[in-house]
Amino acid sequence: MTAPRRMKIRLSTPLPQKERVGVGAGSSTHETDEIQGSNRMTVNSKIRHFFFPSITPKFLARASLVALLAYLFFGHLCIPFSIQGISMEPTYHNGGVNFCWKLRYLFSEPKRPDVVAVRFAGSKVMLLKRVVALEGERVEFRDGKLFVNGNEIEEPYVRYPCDWNLPPRQVEKDAIYVVGDNRSMPIENHHFGQASKSRVVGAPLW
Amino acid sequence: MVKKRYLLIGMLMVILGSVIAIAAFPSEEKRVKRRFGLLSEWVSRSPEENAFTLLQKMRDIGSLFDEHCELKTDYPALSGSYTREEISAYVGSAHSHVSRLSLKFYDLQIAFLEKDVAKVTLTARLTGRSTAGEQIDETREIECLLKKIQKKWLFSQIEVIEVLKK
Repeated sequence: MTAPRRMKIRLSTPLPQKERVGVGAGSSTHETDEIQGSNRMTVNSKIRHFFFPSITPKFLARASLVALLAYLFFGHLCIPFSIQGISMEPTYHNGGVNFCWKLRYLFSEPKRPDVVAVRFAGSKVMLLKRVVALEGERVEFRDGKLFVNGNEIEEPYVRYPCDWNLPPRQVEKDAIYVVGDNRSMPIENHHFGQASKSRVVGAPLW
Repeated sequence: MVKKRYLLIGMLMVILGSVIAIAAFPSEEKRVKRRFGLLSEWVSRSPEENAFTLLQKMRDIGSLFDEHCELKTDYPALSGSYTREEISAYVGSAHSHVSRLSLKFYDLQIAFLEKDVAKVTLTARLTGRSTAGEQIDETREIECLLKKIQKKWLFSQIEVIEVLKK
């Protein structure tokens, strides 16, 4: 901490005339060399100081604040998660990484065709699904096509062939109907259905 | 100087004593969590495990359950009351159909309804591979009721919560 400060002073404050004569012995080349050497040393010490800072109370306070903010942000507001499974292919790939933005539905409600994160008992394991119907709507599948209130819904995000048939059902109050984008598997093997809105944790960042 | 040394030794002894006390006399919450740890360990199976280990696990798993454990699921065929022996046999049968199995619990929320009754809500994830080569990956929210019988927390009811209702 003290070494770089001393060198900075030497660079910014010119030595008195008498001393300069004594140090440089009248040679300007020596003086330039000395300044260049000092510059290099300052840069080196700055780099060293950046990677290995001195443990001072100020530094500890700053590091604690950064750690606390990172914990709050990445632990409660923008939770990183990895995608495991193929139910949202090709929109989200197995093994992909994303962040769950928990403030997404702070002032709004999930709507069609949002992708939402639905929690189980907590937020360590969540389901990533697409909203296809809202409360009070009647949802059904006919030969792989999605119908809401009897109207066919265009779903450009569904790329794989689907032959699902599901009799019409009404979405309950305070619930949404969610389905994955990959409907190439038999309907029995796909985890989908209506979820309480209170289970919606947030939405992926991208 | 001498005083400081005594103070330091005293503090260290207090810390050490606290650690030993916590380890030796765990809270009821920790005791309940340990039961889930054992359940996870005994349900799981790795390809390296021999028949003897599996048999041991199968025998041990029954000791985690009450004499009659109620299972409530959205599959009517699976729902019902099971005895310890039936549970052990069921796990043994499941082990014979898989080459690798892992059961993990997340987000355990423990509430004590009474002094000797605990309700635990959690996420259970079962992953593995069947002997036929099929991938197993099931995640469910589960609500368990554990009763403390003869100083042991035993599973008396397991209910699978329907998160997505088709």
